[in-house]
Amino acid sequence: MTATMQPVPDSALMDRMRTGDEAALSTLYDRYSAMLFAVMMRILRDQQAAEEVLQDLFLQLWRNAGQFDAGRGSLPAWLMVIGRNRAISRLRGMRDREVLEEEEGDYANILASDQNIEDETVRAELARNVSAALEQLPVEQRQAVELAYFEGMTQSEIANRTGIPLGTVKTRMRTAMQTLRQILA
Amino acid sequence: MTGPHANPEDLDLYALGALDGDDKQTLEAHLRDCPPCQQQLAAARQSTALMGLAAPPVAPPPQVKSALMDKVRVEQRPPVAQSGSSQAAPPKTRKKRWGLRFAFGFGLATALLAFTTYELAKQDLDRGKQLQRLQAQLSQDVAALQAMGQVTGAPDSAQITLLQQPGGPPGQAHVLYNARMGLGVYSGQIAPAPSGKSYQLWLVPSSGAPVSAGLVDANQQNGAVVVRLAPGLEPKAFAVTLEPYGGRPQPTGPMVLVGAAS
Repeated sequence: MTATMQPVPDSALMDRMRTGDEAALSTLYDRYSAMLFAVMMRILRDQQAAEEVLQDLFLQLWRNAGQFDAGRGSLPAWLMVIGRNRAISRLRGMRDREVLEEEEGDYANILASDQNIEDETVRAELARNVSAALEQLPVEQRQAVELAYFEGMTQSEIANRTGIPLGTVKTRMRTAMQTLRQILA
Repeated sequence: MTGPHANPEDLDLYALGALDGDDKQTLEAHLRDCPPCQQQLAAARQSTALMGLAAPPVAPPPQVKSALMDKVRVEQRPPVAQSGSSQAAPPKTRKKRWGLRFAFGFGLATALLAFTTYELAKQDLDRGKQLQRLQAQLSQDVAALQAMGQVTGAPDSAQITLLQQPGGPPGQAHVLYNARMGLGVYSGQIAPAPSGKSYQLWLVPSSGAPVSAGLVDANQQNGAVVVRLAPGLEPKAFAVTLEPYGGRPQPTGPMVLVGAAS
């Protein structure tokens, strides 16, 4: 008889975490830390700072496990949103993004969950698709998107940084988003 | 709802945090009264968040997880291990007397804890980063104190002295370890690691591959490190190796300190 090992669903691990099961946190950390740490390193370019943000993120997950409804939201997407926000806040010495996430409170529960990226294979495939989609963008569009994603810049800030007219930046970014939507649909 | 629905691209840009000025205000005003667009924004948040997957995964150094789990255990404040547990293995004879050295270490850790608390009170800690570091240090100190208390109170704990190796940097360390609990404390001092390198502690079992016990600083004389491994894993020895920065799943570098468990 052969059996395929299925990963324990995030929702089950979150349930276990609510009862104080440290092993559940350990499993979630092993599942998502490399994905998150890569983004934090890319944003912060400082290993110690990235390590601190990563640790704080999982500590927050542990402390607030009871507030997350995994049945209504995607945990990795939530981790990515909050992790990115915190890294950018750290990078820019800002607290507004953190304040935003705290004020929204129920943030995690309004994230749609249409992709099961708990599965490492699915996650790896999605990562390949995202990378390929970004590669297909013209260089100037990709640069604008990356400045927004990895440095938290607004369109006006990108225009100031690059010296490109704001209208041009807006057009490039809208076009980039249209293209990404088409490719990743 | 106010006006026509928002463009999907604007929702993406808003989710990305890239919209500002009038564009942002207009969209936010619309979103307040438009549930369908709020739903679209939820999807946009997920899809834009996952753009980070384009960054190839990078495994964080093992000490990040061990520090996280230490903090979690401290917060959870588990009950002190009960004596006479039916699952406990028969206690072994103590191999060495560690009382003085670890009592000294315990005292140092207590002093460090008091010093940290004093620093917290004394300094103007409106700078979040400084406060975070002190809090992290405080958590580590508390975790080390708890571990010391558990291990020193168990009759089947053993102290292993790790000595420098020929041609290696000067240093010496001690591990007080209880295999039944999978819990121990490391303290010691080695010459500073070269740039881009880390010292990593290993439990060498009687059979099988060494098991990482985490990274250690060159100077752990005044701040002991808690070692947590799978309970029941009997050490043949403990060793410290010099590894690339952040450590490795298996030892790749030279052994700097080694100590047999018996």
